[in-house]
Amino acid sequence: MKEKLQAILQEALTATQSVQTQQEAEELKVRYLGKKGELTAILKQMGSLSAEERPVVGQMANEVRAQIETAVREKLEIIKEKAIEQKLAAEALDITMPGKSNKQGRLHPLNTVLDDLIDIFQSMGFDVVDGPEVETDYYNFEALNVPADHPARDMQDTFYLGENLLLRTQTSAAQIRTMKKRKPPIRIICPGRVFRADEVDATHSPVFHQVEGLVVDKGITMCDLKGTLEQFAHEIYGPETKVKFRPSFFPFTEPSVEVDVSCSECGGKGCRVCKGSGWIEILGAGMVHPHVLSECGIDPEEYSGFAFGIGLDRLTTTRYKISDIRLLFENDIRFLEQF
Amino acid sequence: MKISLNWLKRYVDITLPVQEFCDKMVMAGFEVESIENLADTMDNVVVAQIKKIVPHPDSDHLQICTMDVGSGEDVQIITGAQNVFEGAFVPAALHNSHLPNGMVIKNGKLRGLPSNGMLCSGEELCLKDCDYPGAEVNGIMILKGDYPIGTDLREVLGLFDYVIDFKITANRPDCQSVLGVAREVSVVLKTEFRAPSCDYRVSGGSIHDIMKVDVLNVDCCPRYMGRAVRNLKIAESPEWMKRCLKAAGMRPINNIVDITNFVMLETGQPMHAFDMRDIAGHHIIVRNADAGEHIVTLDGNDHELTAEMLVIADAEKPSCLAGIMGGLNSEIKDDTVDLFLESAKFRRDNVRRTSRALGLRTESSGRYERGTDINNVEFAMNRALALIDELGCGEILDGVIDKNEGLPERRELKATASSINALLGLDIPAETMLDILCRLDLQATLDGDMLTCRIPSIRDDIEGRADLAEEVMRIYGYDHIIGTPMTGTVCRGNILPERKKNNAMKQVLLGNGLNEITTYSFISSKAIDALHLNAEDRRLQQIRLLNPLGEEYSVMRTQLVTSMLTVLATNYNNKNEAARLFEISKRFVAKEFPLTEQPQELATMCIGLYGEGEDFFTLKGLLEQVLKVCGAVCRYERSDEPYLHPGRQAKVLLGDATVAVFGEVHPKVAQAYGIDTRCYVAELKLDALYQVVQKQILYRPLPKFPPVLRDFALLCTAETPVGTLEDAIREGAGKLCEKVELFDVYEGSQIPQGMKSVAFRAVLRSAEATLTDEQIERATAKIIKKLEAAGATLRQ
Repeated sequence: MKEKLQAILQEALTATQSVQTQQEAEELKVRYLGKKGELTAILKQMGSLSAEERPVVGQMANEVRAQIETAVREKLEIIKEKAIEQKLAAEALDITMPGKSNKQGRLHPLNTVLDDLIDIFQSMGFDVVDGPEVETDYYNFEALNVPADHPARDMQDTFYLGENLLLRTQTSAAQIRTMKKRKPPIRIICPGRVFRADEVDATHSPVFHQVEGLVVDKGITMCDLKGTLEQFAHEIYGPETKVKFRPSFFPFTEPSVEVDVSCSECGGKGCRVCKGSGWIEILGAGMVHPHVLSECGIDPEEYSGFAFGIGLDRLTTTRYKISDIRLLFENDIRFLEQF
Repeated sequence: MKISLNWLKRYVDITLPVQEFCDKMVMAGFEVESIENLADTMDNVVVAQIKKIVPHPDSDHLQICTMDVGSGEDVQIITGAQNVFEGAFVPAALHNSHLPNGMVIKNGKLRGLPSNGMLCSGEELCLKDCDYPGAEVNGIMILKGDYPIGTDLREVLGLFDYVIDFKITANRPDCQSVLGVAREVSVVLKTEFRAPSCDYRVSGGSIHDIMKVDVLNVDCCPRYMGRAVRNLKIAESPEWMKRCLKAAGMRPINNIVDITNFVMLETGQPMHAFDMRDIAGHHIIVRNADAGEHIVTLDGNDHELTAEMLVIADAEKPSCLAGIMGGLNSEIKDDTVDLFLESAKFRRDNVRRTSRALGLRTESSGRYERGTDINNVEFAMNRALALIDELGCGEILDGVIDKNEGLPERRELKATASSINALLGLDIPAETMLDILCRLDLQATLDGDMLTCRIPSIRDDIEGRADLAEEVMRIYGYDHIIGTPMTGTVCRGNILPERKKNNAMKQVLLGNGLNEITTYSFISSKAIDALHLNAEDRRLQQIRLLNPLGEEYSVMRTQLVTSMLTVLATNYNNKNEAARLFEISKRFVAKEFPLTEQPQELATMCIGLYGEGEDFFTLKGLLEQVLKVCGAVCRYERSDEPYLHPGRQAKVLLGDATVAVFGEVHPKVAQAYGIDTRCYVAELKLDALYQVVQKQILYRPLPKFPPVLRDFALLCTAETPVGTLEDAIREGAGKLCEKVELFDVYEGSQIPQGMKSVAFRAVLRSAEATLTDEQIERATAKIIKKLEAAGATLRQ
């Protein structure tokens, strides 16, 4: 019987070698190890053996069974592994095909830039406030130290809706509304839409956007104004940006300045963007005029402040190098989707 | 203000290169709009003399000129002009010369013979008679010969000069003059200022014997000064004066008119010259016009006047619009013999209003509007008389008419140096401030820390320490301002809750692929007609602009839909296959007409869509998400907007208030905009949504027990809204109802005509226990009962 067992083992191991599929492996297992299998058949003859031989043969038979089982199991694993490999190989994709996603919409570029400004100034402690687009003469001009028939009114051609009502020409009107409502310390910005009777062309629009800033407190100085604008310029144009003050005139600030930043395109060497000057004018600013403070019930001897007005449209067109301001209001999606 | 640099140099030395000089002026508050180098117009054109002329052998009109061009060697130039003669001085353009008309002249040949340059006509040099006498002659320009041969023609023409255009800010009316700018230059460059001569001789006689002046409106004319000149010799002005006027953009006319203009530009004080013959009764009356009175001004236009307008009249009629323009009837003519010269101060708001009302703006009115100095009236008069005398224009009569009610003295203004430093954040020494303020002619003195200034009437823009701070700073230099961080309590700024909500809604829409747009707040008054609103609709009550740029931008919008449709149309016309857009802006609603107070500005959102896959429900889905992010629980009802498809529109109700209307745009409306596809719009009233108080989010435990799914296939009439069936299922399921989902609607074959098949899946669950068969059956039975009550039957 020992020989028979050896023969079965050899035969089974050889057969296992040539097995190709999972099904063949299962069949082989049944053929040798199943209830009607060859090994079982031999074991059924155990009864004819002597008492000494029986445990020896029994142990040998178990070893044979174990060896065959191991061989089949290992073979099965190889077959399964192969099958997975084949499946995966067949499933390979062309990874250059486009991804699938919902198209994401875009904020209008003016608002993308505005959100940046809000973020910068909010982090510096400025509250963000709102003001009406239709203003009274008082808030837009008179309280801002521009009395009726003052030549400074020529600087801005105003749209009127009634004798006393107009479309605000500057977000500075919000200064007055804020100072009449709250007492110093005040730190606000007021973003909004403003209107001037400019004919539409590549660089002019009768509707445009400003961000007004106002700070009133004890001991506010012109150096604070510069410090604040430098921080703003560094965030917007990069940490190397320099800020320059040039004297100017606005009725509601004294002293008044135009503010230039070093051209971010050429770093101040002079290029086409800055027309060779190395500087780009970005906003007007100054120390709040004592008349304006008094008009709002704030004692100019006790408090001082500064104000600035940033042109959002210009900031946007320079950031994205948009050559024609009309594109901002035409709203072609091929334009909008670029931002 | 355009100023010739050479003119400026009459009063102050400027040795810096022009760009460097301008940079310094900019930093002192005088923005430079442009610098024009007059010498750029031509080069290598010289004064030359014709030594000999012979006819060209191969031409019947060309002449060969042998020229002395000052180089020591004769130059042969052939000309076709016939007015040349031997000995004539002419402009010769030599080899490689550039002419103002763009021509480049090179040595060449004419009919086989060398011609090494060109003799120039006035036209080729772009010159008129007023630029050089005789420049407009037909042929070569003949020069006077007062310059040596070989002189650069630009020197003859005064073109070695720059014209600088300074932008004078509204607070500096004193600098609307060459002298005003020159004074500033002397401060900036720390050089001496040389005032021009005001000396003249008088010829005796007395103005009081022949002229009388009465000022009836002293308020509008606080000072009126008059002088007389007789035996006038009207002639051309000298070249230097003409050049100054031309650089400033004024046309030279004759010596008297030119002197009044020159003095106005030089001193900032407008002057006016009357032909004394035309002053009826030799009596000047400064008075308000009679309503309906007429005047024909120098430009030939007739104006009807109102009673607010100030005129300079004679005994019979107005002869001048005060401070704006003279009358045609009293202008200086070639044969004028006696002159009455006016220098006056008029109130700026009066001049401004008259100028606006008549649409008449002049160099004079511009100066009066910005403000002139009452003390400058006499200086300007004397300066004009000095020029009249210097140029020999006539004999100046003795005596001055000077009507005024007292002239202002210098004002005293005190400020401490430390208070100025406190505003600037600097530590400028008081002595430095003192020096700057003195150089600016503010007659400052220093006592300890206290600066006392005596401000001349010419600088009434200086009112307090802030103004002194600015004067000090612009001369001291803004480069000294060093940025410092603000001190004080540091906290993050607040943002309005409305802005926060807008941002949340925007995020939803952006996530759904909508692009944000920005459109104008004013629209065409006719735009709203496209919506076919009922006559009583409040949206038709639009606020009109009194002075719009045009019909296109003439009213404040009461809705955002027309702007959205315009943008959708733009995209459609630009062949964009699809567009999903939104805008958040304001509607303007007048409280009453005529408008007396500020209108309501109501925050509004508009959504617009077109393209494949868009329908009523994609729009409704967007709205549902927007409303959800606002925390608004709303109902939907049919609506009746005339601009929407009658069967495909709905309104959104929050309580009883309509917060939105949306739907498919009526095909007629879409077509009117040129949109040839289905498009969809929604308009949301954000103010109402801002009011919704967002519920605090509280965690709900996840379900512990399994759900039971029940499908209901139903048959109902085609008109039955699925919403009522859904409500029926919810009601029937009661508190076991977790979710009801519509998963199929079908009309067509296998369904009886006029009916539809609707299928729902209900998810039932209890939080307390697994549902028993009995509970499920009871709920199902109740659902079916409710459905039947709603008009649906179970499909078998």
